[in-house]
Amino acid sequence: MTCSFPGYEHVCFELGTLLSMHPPPFIYIQDIESVMTTFSVIGTLLRALSDESYSSISTGGVKICHARVDAIACFNARLFYEAVINSLVQFEPSWEDGCGNWESDVEMKWNENMDAFLHGLRAAHADLCSKNHKGKGKGKERAGGGYEHVRLVIVVERAERLKESLPELLVPLTRLAELARLDLSVIFISQVGWEDIRPPLGASPDPYYIDIQSPSKENIVRGLVANFEAISDAQSSYNPYHPALKPLYAHFIAILCDVCFPFTHSPQELQYIAAARWPGFVKPVLDDHLQTRDKALDEEDVDMEDDSAHTSKGELVPPTEEVRMRLNKLFNASLSTAFEALLPRLTNAADWARANEPPGELLSFPRTFMLEQAKSASKAGDDKEEGIRALPRLSKFILLAAFLASTNPPKSDLRMFGRGLDEKKRKRRVVTKSAGKGGVAKVSQRLLGPTPFALDRLIAILGALLEENDVQPDRSLSKILTIPGEYTDMEITRVSVYSNIMELTAMRLLHRTSPPERLDGPPMFRCAVSYDTALGIAKQLDVALNDLLWDPV
Amino acid sequence: MPESRLNLYKQAILRNLHSPDTRPSSLSQSSVNDIASKQLSDLINGTVTRAEGNSCLLLGPRGSGKSRMVECCLNHLSVKPIVIRLCGWIQTTDRHALREIGLQLLQQTGASILTDPEPGASNSTLTGNEETNPFLDRSADLSTSTLPPTSHLHALIPVLLTLDRPIIVILDAFDLFALHPRQSLLYCLFDAVQNCRASSDNQGIAVIGITSRVDTIHLLEKRVKSRFSGRTIRTAPSCDLEQCLALVRAFLQPSIPIDEQTDIDEWNQVWASSVEEFLEDQKTLNIIRETFSVTRDMKALIRIMTGCVLHLKSTRPYLSSATLSASAELQRSRSSNLHLNRLSYPSMCLLIASVHVNTSGQPSFNFEMLFDIFRDQVRASSSAPVQVNGGSIGMAFQDLATAKIFISVMAPSNAAKEFTKYRCSVEREVIKKVIEKSAQTNLKKWLNKAP
Repeated sequence: MTCSFPGYEHVCFELGTLLSMHPPPFIYIQDIESVMTTFSVIGTLLRALSDESYSSISTGGVKICHARVDAIACFNARLFYEAVINSLVQFEPSWEDGCGNWESDVEMKWNENMDAFLHGLRAAHADLCSKNHKGKGKGKERAGGGYEHVRLVIVVERAERLKESLPELLVPLTRLAELARLDLSVIFISQVGWEDIRPPLGASPDPYYIDIQSPSKENIVRGLVANFEAISDAQSSYNPYHPALKPLYAHFIAILCDVCFPFTHSPQELQYIAAARWPGFVKPVLDDHLQTRDKALDEEDVDMEDDSAHTSKGELVPPTEEVRMRLNKLFNASLSTAFEALLPRLTNAADWARANEPPGELLSFPRTFMLEQAKSASKAGDDKEEGIRALPRLSKFILLAAFLASTNPPKSDLRMFGRGLDEKKRKRRVVTKSAGKGGVAKVSQRLLGPTPFALDRLIAILGALLEENDVQPDRSLSKILTIPGEYTDMEITRVSVYSNIMELTAMRLLHRTSPPERLDGPPMFRCAVSYDTALGIAKQLDVALNDLLWDPV
Repeated sequence: MPESRLNLYKQAILRNLHSPDTRPSSLSQSSVNDIASKQLSDLINGTVTRAEGNSCLLLGPRGSGKSRMVECCLNHLSVKPIVIRLCGWIQTTDRHALREIGLQLLQQTGASILTDPEPGASNSTLTGNEETNPFLDRSADLSTSTLPPTSHLHALIPVLLTLDRPIIVILDAFDLFALHPRQSLLYCLFDAVQNCRASSDNQGIAVIGITSRVDTIHLLEKRVKSRFSGRTIRTAPSCDLEQCLALVRAFLQPSIPIDEQTDIDEWNQVWASSVEEFLEDQKTLNIIRETFSVTRDMKALIRIMTGCVLHLKSTRPYLSSATLSASAELQRSRSSNLHLNRLSYPSMCLLIASVHVNTSGQPSFNFEMLFDIFRDQVRASSSAPVQVNGGSIGMAFQDLATAKIFISVMAPSNAAKEFTKYRCSVEREVIKKVIEKSAQTNLKKWLNKAP
């Protein structure tokens, strides 16, 4: 059996044997962590089966035709039917023909409902069989290459989506073989277990289960290294994917997996990180090679007739063990930063590679150089922080007040912000980390998420904050505003405060939770900045945020 | 045993297992099914040969051979009737069902049954369509050439009786048809059956309902029930272990088509003796007995046998009780930690954190809570294994949520993702097993800290 990724031989053998012999009508494949790899492995297996199946004896002269549909792409029934039938007969709608479906204009449309789909399946089956007979008539002497009948295999990827998008299709799909009365097998591939999708009342027969364990580290390393051959290119010598670099690449992948494998088991993600880091990793080697080649060329100008020396020096040779170790040390730290940035796709691989391109002559630098660089790069912070830093001072106070209003319970406001004549110490909530037997430990609101608050409360907290942290009495007004706090009172009722709030809402740093058309009651908001951002703002404003939080941190 | 030979066996056994019509029929499993089969074939024969109008309900649990029995009876008929197959899972409304009847009639008789009584009327509707919607009329035009217009579909049922061949209507998932509003399709069909009795020049009609729902008959409205003959044919799964074993034996000893190979007898004997040995193994018997006592559905046993047979290789060519039990583990009693054994490190941390949340009395959690617990743990234990800055652990949380290990308990809202509440679908015991298997001591310690 063909197998396109190491570690999947067992599954390929099982599924391949099953499909080429007598498959059960319904197969369910579950894979939690590396489902993309499973898709590609099964896709390759099916292609191989449909190419070669009818020539081999073991299948008993059955031609396997397959259709692969993605339940995310096929989000309604029509799309699903069209995708299955078109891909079974390998029909591609073309723009010139008005993008009609396969034989859609003959008698009926195959995509109208399940009945039509079943008729379409039978028609497709008949069509595929008749193709065979034609082929048989032409080349009968071709080593008995005829097949007796056609077996259809329909693969539904990410089948868990069917439960939400097409629940009415689930039961008919699982019984498709008996409904269509064809030699047919339906395969669901999903990250979710069958017991989570299974329709109620036992309407679907139980599938034949195939479980796929995520590949082991060794297999991922082998698979990624094997991919190198597919992308390697011997044409230009200044090329990170030159075949001569394969040993170095294998070494690189091994280090990469050492660092990143504990955190993700998906070969796709590891491949992505490798693609981002590899060009930088080999750059010193390539630069070195270019230099020596240039030197060699210069020498050759002097000594033209030594032709054999030219070819041997022009070739890219794998670097020595010592260079490898140095590269290793230089780049090890940047692997984990690459991982942190690329796994959540905070940036894309190309951008990341550009931003983290090593400088020339790297091999002559001290070994901690890249480490320092990585540190400084991570310190720079991302764009969102920059945006908040650029906000006006008043907006920062408003955000801080909004964070406090969202995090503290309303009844604590008086205690936190109230100022009596006697300067009482603020009493904070007392939290027991784990309540004793039977008790439910209180979780701090900071972790539970922001609660909505009324505009009035926001303004009041803003006033308290400004009064304590930001009073700069205007000399010219000091004669008019004589009561303590009167100046702040005036400040917080300015129009600019309200317009700032609306601006922050438009930036989605605040969420308005009440509909804008409601007139009664104050408008409600919810803070949309995280605790870390709020801490950053408080630092900029020199406010002790943690003292103002009801829940102790 | 040579590879090609083994493949022949494999193929023959799999064919036995998965295509019911080639299943050994000499071993009819139980007297119940024998009687049922005889009753059913009598009924169908009556319709086909004596032009009777018959209706009956085939009732039996899942996997007890209802559909197979019908197919078997139809295959043994001398005259070929028109067979119309409907399924309650597909034809969810009466309109769909009528359309499908029209289509199947068209396919089997080759001519449109209903000639349009008023061509003028339908033309006028067509022209009306042309003005309003240029896309609709083409489809309407096409469908009129093959199918009667939808307004005339109801006239199809009485026409069934006037055909020149007997007709058999099979209603799979019959109970779902009874849930259609007013049960008009069932009413029309049963009415046609009764009318058939009245007149003599008709061909016969039989309506066979197939269902596993025991109270189906009570679902029928009075006017429908009174037209239904009330005949219920019951099927049952095989009822004792001996028969079950005999069936397994028959599955595993296929008749291999004789090739030009000379040593065929010898291999047959070797295979037969290996199968006997396999079936006499006490462990094998135990697994079959267990399966049999859990479910009478042969399909479960068939799945287990399939898994077992598939793993035969030329290096290990005979069935063994070990592979059978492994296969039973996968196909029947699926353990819940099957997939969790190789979870990534952040996922395991999140699972442990969710245990801690649960023991502290919170029924649900969000990402921030888990992350806070995790951060505390990293801070508290000086031997913290790996520092995680947040990116990967967030992705791990998303992965767990897509794998439905963490199930969302909140209606989707515009709340920030990290505050959406989830609950863990994996039991604590299972998590404990997974962590123990992963052999990471600090994780184990952390999990054990939960009271």
